[in-house]
Amino acid sequence: MQSIFKSTYRNFVRKPVTNLINLGGLAISLALVIILSVYSYSELTTDNYHKNGDRLYLLGNSIGPMHMPAVLKDQIDLNIPEVESAVRLADSWEAPVFQAGEHEPISSDLVFADADFFKLFNYQAIEGNLENALKDPLTIVLTKPLAEKLFGKELALGKTVKMNNDKELVVSAVIDELHANTCLKFSAITSVATRKTVEPNGEEFTDWGWCNFHLFILLKAGTSPDETVKKIAALFPKKQEDQQDYSQLKLNSFEKVYFSRLSPFGSDYLRSGDKKKIMILLMVAALVMVIALVNFINISSSQWMEQIRQTGVLKVIGADKGSILKKVLSEAFLLFLMSLFLAIMIVQLLFPYVSNCTGIHFNSHLLFSPSFLTISIAGTFILSLVLSIIPALRISSSKALDNLKKTVENGASTSIFRGVLVTTQFVIAIVLIAFTVLVQKQVNFGSSNLGFNQENIIGIKLTPQLNLKKDVLKKLLQEKPNVSQISYTQYYPGKTISHWTTNQGGGAEKKQFNFDTFNADASFFGMTGLQLTQGRFFSDDLTTDRNKMVVNETFVHEHKLENPIGTKLVMGFGPDAGLSEIIGVTKDFHYKSVNQPIGSLIIQNQTFSSYALVCLNTKDFNSLQSTIRDIKMVTANLSPSFPVEISFFDQAIENMYQSELQFRRTFSLFAGCAIVICCLGILAMSLFACQRRIKEIGIRKVNGARVSEVLAMLNRDFVKWVAIAFVIATPIAYYAMNKWLESFAYKTELSWWIFALAGLLALGIALLTVSWQSWKAATKNPVEALRYE
Amino acid sequence: MIHLNNIDKYYDSKFQRTFVLKAVNLEVKEGEFLSIMGPSGSGKSTLLNIIGLLDAPSAGEYSLYEKSVLNLKEKAKVDYHRNFMGFIFQAYHLIEEMTVYENIETPLIYKGVKSRDRQAMVADLLDRFNMVAKKDLFPQQLSGGQQQLVGIARAIIGKPKLLLADEPTGNLQSVQGEMIMETLKTLNDEGMTIIHVTHNEKFAGYGKRIIRLEDGIIRKDEKKV
Repeated sequence: MQSIFKSTYRNFVRKPVTNLINLGGLAISLALVIILSVYSYSELTTDNYHKNGDRLYLLGNSIGPMHMPAVLKDQIDLNIPEVESAVRLADSWEAPVFQAGEHEPISSDLVFADADFFKLFNYQAIEGNLENALKDPLTIVLTKPLAEKLFGKELALGKTVKMNNDKELVVSAVIDELHANTCLKFSAITSVATRKTVEPNGEEFTDWGWCNFHLFILLKAGTSPDETVKKIAALFPKKQEDQQDYSQLKLNSFEKVYFSRLSPFGSDYLRSGDKKKIMILLMVAALVMVIALVNFINISSSQWMEQIRQTGVLKVIGADKGSILKKVLSEAFLLFLMSLFLAIMIVQLLFPYVSNCTGIHFNSHLLFSPSFLTISIAGTFILSLVLSIIPALRISSSKALDNLKKTVENGASTSIFRGVLVTTQFVIAIVLIAFTVLVQKQVNFGSSNLGFNQENIIGIKLTPQLNLKKDVLKKLLQEKPNVSQISYTQYYPGKTISHWTTNQGGGAEKKQFNFDTFNADASFFGMTGLQLTQGRFFSDDLTTDRNKMVVNETFVHEHKLENPIGTKLVMGFGPDAGLSEIIGVTKDFHYKSVNQPIGSLIIQNQTFSSYALVCLNTKDFNSLQSTIRDIKMVTANLSPSFPVEISFFDQAIENMYQSELQFRRTFSLFAGCAIVICCLGILAMSLFACQRRIKEIGIRKVNGARVSEVLAMLNRDFVKWVAIAFVIATPIAYYAMNKWLESFAYKTELSWWIFALAGLLALGIALLTVSWQSWKAATKNPVEALRYE
Repeated sequence: MIHLNNIDKYYDSKFQRTFVLKAVNLEVKEGEFLSIMGPSGSGKSTLLNIIGLLDAPSAGEYSLYEKSVLNLKEKAKVDYHRNFMGFIFQAYHLIEEMTVYENIETPLIYKGVKSRDRQAMVADLLDRFNMVAKKDLFPQQLSGGQQQLVGIARAIIGKPKLLLADEPTGNLQSVQGEMIMETLKTLNDEGMTIIHVTHNEKFAGYGKRIIRLEDGIIRKDEKKV
């Protein structure tokens, strides 16, 4: 065994270039495979670590979770004994601001939950006791990262945090950082009782019509979810059933919630995963692996051929078949093992960066779990065995004399076989390049065809203090240079948009309307450049415009309004409810991500707003900077207790495409790796080819061939392979791209230049790599080449 | 010891049969030093390979110590290579990734000799060939003659009865060639049977018996007195 280590090492040192290529290619691809398989494993086992996970359900319908009225829980507790516990969960309407003592105030997300929350879900307490942590009103449980931000290194337990510069909450426990693979994402959690105090919200705790909570249900062991859900559906009062159809209610197994499609107006704390994306990534990782394995086959088989005489010698001096077989196989395994460890090191080193730019995220302790190490070592063993068993058998069972004369046919070394392998590599590389270009094109398309202006707009998130002084803020901002317009609105790219259901008013026949809605003032339309198709926009002068609305074209089509102008709808709830009139129709624009179809939209003219949009009329960097400084100063003065978030409108739009951007970066990373490994492969191939043909080159040159002719001869094969690869790759890429684009509501088109670009890029890279070696071989003195043999 | 009876070796191509060896009869006794002479393509190497069990004759009989060694199983052949015969090649065929020491040691590993015994045996041989100082060098760092000495050491470390040398001096300058031949002669004097293929009349003269091959036929068989 020791001798195998030694000979592998010496062989490595003797041929550093080819061996490094082999090792490096394998290590890079293994690193990718490791990252992706651990990530996929992590994603696919999301939320499977809760003790009661098999009895835990989330109430919704067959599509996903739905919001439920708060009273439903009380009724379930009273009437359905099969339910061990029902827990309501909701997030705060806006991210609150917390302040501990005299520390900096911090804006963070917050969820409200019933006391049994920690009975349903398993979390690790660092400070305090979770059992009673959510019993009392005005208590809060912090996650470790937030506790550290708020209190630094001090103990948080028992201390108070001030919420929104108003109510004081007592820290009742601190829990460890959440798992990466969970669909529940929050930084702080407080009791539902607290919600009544800090965020009172109409009749939500008494009225069946207020649906603001997700309801998690823990069934008693042995209870059928289908039976129970029927009983739950029966709890709804008759009147309520008319408004919404509750016959389709379903208890969705909590462990599967992550991959169910969440309702489009889902909450931020409920994250969802995308199985399709994981599958695509896994497939791509497999493809990159294939490229690296092809390199291994090509390089190793060439090396074995070089060493074949040595095997002959070993046989003559008494080696039997078994020991040769063992030697070849264990050398291959050793190479795989080395690249595995190198890969793990690469992952360790680069994962933070990769995670940052691709959004791929998992707990790194998974990398050193015994099961991962066992599986990966066993995997590399099997891979190395499968890939080298055939050449190893051939080498070991051939006759010693044939080995000495180098007349063994390796199979893997024939040029056709190699051609097929290299072509396969390039097919994969070209498909990946083309796909990367397409993903990029789709992202560009998404953010540039939204139907409204996004340049030069700054968004100021209105804190409670700013909201009270909107008029003052407007006046102060307008005095600043470079500020041209100010608009108050509820709309901001990437933020949740309300979804309402209401009825037509004014005595007409009862007709239901579903739509997204937000408030905006008159200047919103001018600033965003929305285009009117019918009627008019709001005007500021008319206070009578308060109850007027502007709808989009989709609203008109979807609800089949022949005369939209003048149509009156019941808007608002309870005492606020009143009739509002449609006064204008605007052209459709992508107020949501382009991945979703444009919905029906009503823009209301109510006063409540959450953002101030400031339009600047300068493009000069310095004056832009100073204006932003001014704005910051003004807002900081008006909102001393709440930090003010200021962001660029266009960046907020880009952030809506975070997952596409990450997908693009992921893909670029893969394609990059694939191309690098491909290059390494053909570099090694050209090295071997030049070595093998060194005599031929010498003879040709002695007989009068020019350097250019030799170069052409050496490069011809590679160009041929890339050309064949291009022909094969184009339809594959075309199909895959079409398939991928299907999932987008608005998609960019496939242009021929994507394929041309991918093909030319592959060809260029191949030629560059190969020519490096060919040039060296072609310019060598032929006498030198012919001297040896 | 070696008994070749009517050995033929031929290759069939489409229209004709090409003979490399034709009706070769040869007997070699223990302790002989046999030189095989002949021009290129006369079948010298083929004959040596057949004797060394690396190649099989197309027809004829071959026995070692009255035991036929045709159609031997793979395992039996490996046994002969481990225990009965050693090889020396024109191109030395040392293993480039191994040091001098390891090259010489390898046959003993295959033979299953214990590590401690191996050390003693290799040390003895290194001592005898005056190569102790070079034991940690790699073959590329040695001169041709030294490489061939290592080749000889590797061939005889397993104490074979028969040493087969295929033009051992072919790549060497004459002074180094003579040194190699002297070494072989000493080994023969100690009782080892040696069969030696060469082009070189002078080196052939080291043998006690010279066979001259031409077109696969033994033309002459002369014994020196």
